[in-house]
Amino acid sequence: MFSSVLSADVRGITGMPIWVETDVSDGLPGLVMVGYLASAVRESADRVRTAMKNTGVSIPPKKITVNLSPADTKKEGTGFDLAIAVSLMCSLGMFPKECIEKVMFLGELGLDGTVKKIRGVLPMAELAKELGCAVCVIPKDNEAEGRIVKGIACVGVENLRETLNRIITGDYSQEDISLEIIKETQETNPDFSEIRGQEGVKQAAKLAAAGRLNLLMVGPPGSGKTMIARRIPTILPQMSEEESLEVTKIYSVCGLLPEGVALMKDRPFRAPHHTISVSAMVGGGRQQVMPGEISLSNHGCLFLDEITEIPRNVLESLRQPLEDRCVQISRVSGNAVFPANTMLIAAMNPCRCGYYPDMNKCHCNAGEIHRYLNKISMPFIDRMDLCVEAPRVAFEELTGEESGETSKKIREKVLRAHQMQTERYQGSAYRFNGDVKGSDVEEYFRVGKKQKKLLEDAFENLNLTARSYHKILKVARTAADLECEKDIEVSHILQAICYRNIDRKFWAV
Amino acid sequence: MKKYINKELPEGIRYISRSEKEFPEKLLELSDCPDGIYVRGKLPDPKKKTVAIVGARMCSAYGRATASYFARVLAANDVQIISGLALGIDGAAHEGALMAGGATFAVMAGDVSVCYPRGHIELYEQMRKTGGILSEEPCGCPPLPRLFPKRNRLISILSDVVLVVEAKEKSGSLITADFAAEQGRDLFAVPGRLEDELSKGCNELISQGAGIAISPERMLEIMGEKVKKSDNSESFSENVLARQENMVYSCLSLQPKTLEDLCKATKLSITSVTESVMLLQLQGLVKEIGRNRYVRSV
Repeated sequence: MFSSVLSADVRGITGMPIWVETDVSDGLPGLVMVGYLASAVRESADRVRTAMKNTGVSIPPKKITVNLSPADTKKEGTGFDLAIAVSLMCSLGMFPKECIEKVMFLGELGLDGTVKKIRGVLPMAELAKELGCAVCVIPKDNEAEGRIVKGIACVGVENLRETLNRIITGDYSQEDISLEIIKETQETNPDFSEIRGQEGVKQAAKLAAAGRLNLLMVGPPGSGKTMIARRIPTILPQMSEEESLEVTKIYSVCGLLPEGVALMKDRPFRAPHHTISVSAMVGGGRQQVMPGEISLSNHGCLFLDEITEIPRNVLESLRQPLEDRCVQISRVSGNAVFPANTMLIAAMNPCRCGYYPDMNKCHCNAGEIHRYLNKISMPFIDRMDLCVEAPRVAFEELTGEESGETSKKIREKVLRAHQMQTERYQGSAYRFNGDVKGSDVEEYFRVGKKQKKLLEDAFENLNLTARSYHKILKVARTAADLECEKDIEVSHILQAICYRNIDRKFWAV
Repeated sequence: MKKYINKELPEGIRYISRSEKEFPEKLLELSDCPDGIYVRGKLPDPKKKTVAIVGARMCSAYGRATASYFARVLAANDVQIISGLALGIDGAAHEGALMAGGATFAVMAGDVSVCYPRGHIELYEQMRKTGGILSEEPCGCPPLPRLFPKRNRLISILSDVVLVVEAKEKSGSLITADFAAEQGRDLFAVPGRLEDELSKGCNELISQGAGIAISPERMLEIMGEKVKKSDNSESFSENVLARQENMVYSCLSLQPKTLEDLCKATKLSITSVTESVMLLQLQGLVKEIGRNRYVRSV
């Protein structure tokens, strides 16, 4: 008898329907699986057979053929186990076909029949809803995640026996999940008030957060660059529902959702080590195309410490995603587009020993410093909007009494700045000052005569390049937004010039 | 050497052999006097006094300002400044001399037609017109490391006085100082704090008997020159500045200050400090060295 059950796989961060078709007929006994399967899926046959045996379902000695359709796309992972088992049981006539119509099955089987956690439940449950399914049967451990999708009953099952019972009885009632299960991530973040001093860096961080600008921090070892970077997500406003969902999807696909977390509410903060590979940074993978760090930090911060130590090709690979806010990964196994709407925070030392321009400590010569800076390409530097020095902090300052503004307070200011930007960019593709490109810069960031004169002066005196002009305008506009000013004032431009991007000639050795 | 001499020299470069009248007499004092010398621009005027200003390539902002100041005052008093066009002190000395409109000369380690280091191309071009670039090495010779100490003996012999501005304990400038002592030139060193790495070499020279360069005027007196002009840079009155900028300016010195330092010293908000410091920088009163490190510009 033939039966067909709906399951799904993930491509990029969206679900793709997979039909599991099973036929039981007379012939040489055996179980054959077809449909362009990777080995993890092929091994499913043994898992399903054993799980069924241990659930008390005996498989008759007949010829069983399982096909995963569409048969021309490569199938990966273990998420089809449950669907294969259900399809087989249906073929064996254990329940009528009508029982499994408009139901999607997702989950991995253990040999004892338990249904185990899988990756990517959220996008697949969304797909089920789009396909008009009424029910999506998912592993118990993924239940919280599946429940985010409204308009479809996501039922968590613990084992194959329970699944069978539910199918037969048609009882897809959901247990009331107590709030403890669908808990949001707790706000256990560090706070800005813990940082004493470092006023310049803090201000630059505020500007970066307010305009969604990329920030470069330069400073000697131990000056608290990492400490500040870790606190930047805490001053960004809460993610919107839409943003949360997108971030959760990415984490779901990667299997990185924290235990018991349904929806990611905190903005992600990723700080990969500098030995990272290109694929790990932008996404890729041999068998299945997976999101990289730049997508994992979507709507949050990507912190790159010691950027001079990061392989050059990795840094260069970031250029396009930073510009386009998404990344398209093409592999033999398939293509995927991942969002890459992240704020880049980079940190580096001013020279190899880290102490320039403190001549009593720095032992580098001019050539060494030049070579050190040369490790970062100019196009990459161009992607950075703000650059600030993080000076070394004296001991008494670290232990001092007074503390600065709290993250909460700063976040309010940032939120107001975001609101101003939302108003400004209504009806355009932009959302933040940092997004504005090309000729639109001068369109959106108009300045008065006095301000223009100042900019001209700055160009002459400070040897600025033409490309820094737009950046200065962007930062100045953000400074004005932070102060809720309608127009860009002279003081905002001065601030922007102070945090202007470095250029090659900068280190005046 | 001959094959280069017979070859046609690039335009603007002259070769002066030791038999020629023009050949600097001072060079003949050398036991290993070169056969000839390549010149781009002019040769130092033998009737005028010449001071060599040398020092560390990786110098501090203070050192740079000091070198520039000494060169400026000396050049304004018709003293020729000679140095090696290197980064740091050398470059600052040339710059100072040019600022005062004086004649300044560079002795290169390699080819005179090649500006080394590249970063000093502007200085090189200016000096080519108003002063001169000298070398004993033929055209096409790269600036090899071994040529630098050899070049230093020319810097000291061509001068009447050698001034070391900043030098670490082991510095190439000390080689020039040794040559100066051997060649019987007067040696001066700018004193510094005991704890500063960049002053250790200078302090050592002083302890060995070098003159203490407390001011360019005093140096002129010792050299037997009359002080005609003192520092001719426009004296700047702090009164013209707004109160806030004045506060920030008064906190600045030749030691680099961070935004953090300025915030603490002035008790102003970070936004006011950045604004003031940028205004000062645009007025040319403040210089930025490294990222967000500010010094007074002299």
